Amino acid sequence: MSDLPLSGVRITDLTHYWSGPHAMRILGDLGADVIKIEFARRMCVLRGAFTKDKVYDRHPRWHQANRNKRSMTLDLKDPRQRGILDDLVRISDVVAENSRGGVMKALGAGYEDFKRIKPDIIMLSMPAYGSTGPWSTYAGVGGALEPTCGLQALTAYDKNDKRRRIKEADVTSGIMGACAVLTALYHRKRTGGGQWIDMSQLEILSHSLFGEHLLEFMMNGTQTLPLGNRHANYAPQGCYRCKGEDNWIVLTIRSDAEWQALCDVLRRPEMKNDTRFRTRESRRKNHDEIDKLIEAWTSGRDKREVMHVLQERGIAAGAVADLAEVADDAHLRARGYFQEARDGTPGLYPGVPISASGWDIRVRRRGPDLGGDNARVVTELLGRPVEDAPVLNENDVGTAFDNE
Amino acid sequence: MEFRSAVNKGPPSMTRQSDMLMTQRALEKVRVVDLTQHSAGPYCTKLLAGFGAEVLKIERRPDGDPMRGRGPFFEDREGPERSIPFLWLNTGKKSVALNLEDGRGVDVLKKLIAKADVLVENFAPGEMAKLGLGFDTLSAINPRLVMTSISSFGQTGPYRDFAGEEITTYAMSGCMDLTGDPAREPLASGPASTQYTAAMWGYIATLAALFQREDGGGGRHIDVSIQESALDNIEMALAERLHLGQTAKRKNDKHPLVPWELFSCKDGQAAVIGGPMRHWLAAVDMFEEPRLRGTKFAHALGRIEHRAEFEELIRPWLSRHGKEEIFHMGQSRGLAFGYMASLEETRACPQHESRGFFVDVEHPEVGTHRHCGAPFHFSDTPWRSARAPRLGEHTRCVLGETLGYSADDLGLLHDAGVI
Repeated sequence: MSDLPLSGVRITDLTHYWSGPHAMRILGDLGADVIKIEFARRMCVLRGAFTKDKVYDRHPRWHQANRNKRSMTLDLKDPRQRGILDDLVRISDVVAENSRGGVMKALGAGYEDFKRIKPDIIMLSMPAYGSTGPWSTYAGVGGALEPTCGLQALTAYDKNDKRRRIKEADVTSGIMGACAVLTALYHRKRTGGGQWIDMSQLEILSHSLFGEHLLEFMMNGTQTLPLGNRHANYAPQGCYRCKGEDNWIVLTIRSDAEWQALCDVLRRPEMKNDTRFRTRESRRKNHDEIDKLIEAWTSGRDKREVMHVLQERGIAAGAVADLAEVADDAHLRARGYFQEARDGTPGLYPGVPISASGWDIRVRRRGPDLGGDNARVVTELLGRPVEDAPVLNENDVGTAFDNE
Repeated sequence: MEFRSAVNKGPPSMTRQSDMLMTQRALEKVRVVDLTQHSAGPYCTKLLAGFGAEVLKIERRPDGDPMRGRGPFFEDREGPERSIPFLWLNTGKKSVALNLEDGRGVDVLKKLIAKADVLVENFAPGEMAKLGLGFDTLSAINPRLVMTSISSFGQTGPYRDFAGEEITTYAMSGCMDLTGDPAREPLASGPASTQYTAAMWGYIATLAALFQREDGGGGRHIDVSIQESALDNIEMALAERLHLGQTAKRKNDKHPLVPWELFSCKDGQAAVIGGPMRHWLAAVDMFEEPRLRGTKFAHALGRIEHRAEFEELIRPWLSRHGKEEIFHMGQSRGLAFGYMASLEETRACPQHESRGFFVDVEHPEVGTHRHCGAPFHFSDTPWRSARAPRLGEHTRCVLGETLGYSADDLGLLHDAGVI
């Protein structure tokens, strides 16, 4: 625990949904003490539509997305509870929020407000559209930001097909949120200065997923994507049917030598000298025909067997895995990727995509029960009597699905 | 470094601090030796450069980063300074061209690494060791070195040596199975999403190690797996698989909530989002359809239950209105609407315009071009907007200033084909 890089860093987390919470989960995984502030009368949408038997504490998606955090319920419009927030900020390094632009300021909980309480505070604001500009007060969810920023225009089976979602909007913003906080923490450690971070999810998606494609459009007025499962430079690349139902292999041929190797694997050595296929350009022109040849070979074979045969020849090939197969993946298991929570609760969790000697990054606890840490935060962190802790009245608990 | 010793005497006064901060970038005085190529590594080091680090991009002579040879190219004409993805991914870096087949080239590189804080690389696992640049060797040269290795499947495990492209890691992480139409083959992400999210994880790990090192710790070697970064992007679906045995599948972008997807409208597609759900009842009259006020649609669960009927009732109004009009009407009622934007529309987006998201940079070979500027804004430590370097543009300057090579030394190395 003490070896974790952010051990000793405390974060007051006012984010909800998935983007902000994802940023906070990453920082929590790295050892920060993340205190998630929840509004019990309108819980986060990830806690679901029901309150009976506290089912909102039992969703695995919640346990995952909010792991390594504490939960504290506060009503920021109640002056006494608002005082608790200020006390928390006073002992925090970072405050984070992802409400619509202007919402926090209206609550008296903007950067200037917190800076008065804690001069070196770092505050991350990551509303959907940023904190300035004509759309700053607009609300956003992944399903709307993905098309609105231009990202969705780049994924489809072919140019005439409808554009498809890749659903990476919230997580991408979340990862960048963690990048921003870490940068500010490092800077503060060297200079002593806190600062405010103005992040627009609309901009993050553009910058960190398709900046190169925007630049292509700016420079050439063209748009290479969408290309379905094909590659802009290499040919062939595709997703091919294998034996069984909904089983597929993807492969990419990156050089003429790899093409020759593929011809051997397909037991079609005569194709090596076929002028229709010899160069990348000619293979691109005859891609449809090549796809048929490849699928004729793959369709009767096991996808994992095909993957291994091709990988032995140095060809980038992968069996398309569904979630059940991912959860059983021998490689991930060998790397110790999946983890049990250290709090003794059952079940495995995804790990983290980074590892280093000396870093024991763990699921220390699963996503918290609603208000489960009220008493400890108030007494242990704030040194106040336990009577000051907000008491959760179950009749007042409401969901994000309720009408106002 | 005087900057750090000043800090060690205690926190600077507020006046002093603000004076310093105005001129400082967040990662000022961090030196990065950048051995990355293609996408995942270079986006990580692009962020490091943008926030103020000195990034020395080591390019192998004679061709440099293979991305320089990959299109699309400016005006569709090939050339090492004309690759558009290269121009995007390498802004703000210094290019140092070295022949790493030659031992003298590797020696120069080691000298740079001895003076660096960070090394980032995304070769196939084992390649660094083959170059004589394994972490143990480098750590002996520079015990404080943070080395970040980004690879398709990580530095360990049975698939460590698998070849991986973007589609491979997207497929082998479960993401691809969730993308597209259930009646068709799984669909790859258009943009290289697994490369880019892994790049950001590389940045996170690097900064976390630097942060920790400030307290006196040493360097460390970080293993970033692109496959695992893609898995993290579907964390909730994966947790539901692990805990409930549910296996989500691709379903044509149908969302469990209603309405929560794209619908055809008069001039394109509008993202009609029934959330935040508490705002629905006050907004529903915009569809000019009294039946939508019926009790069966009043609660979100009712709209889910009567999905098909509900969707038919909103279509007529949508077909009479344009996507941007629908977007603003929904937003003015508190709903998180959106619309399908083309890249042309993204370029002209008034929100981007107002925030100055796109900025111009000048490049000696391809001229002025417009790209995304800062990914986000710090109040006190600005982003550095810059162009990508020409191949080997900074070799002499870096070897001279950082390693103290004389003009004669540089001449000899040049003649020997090392630089």
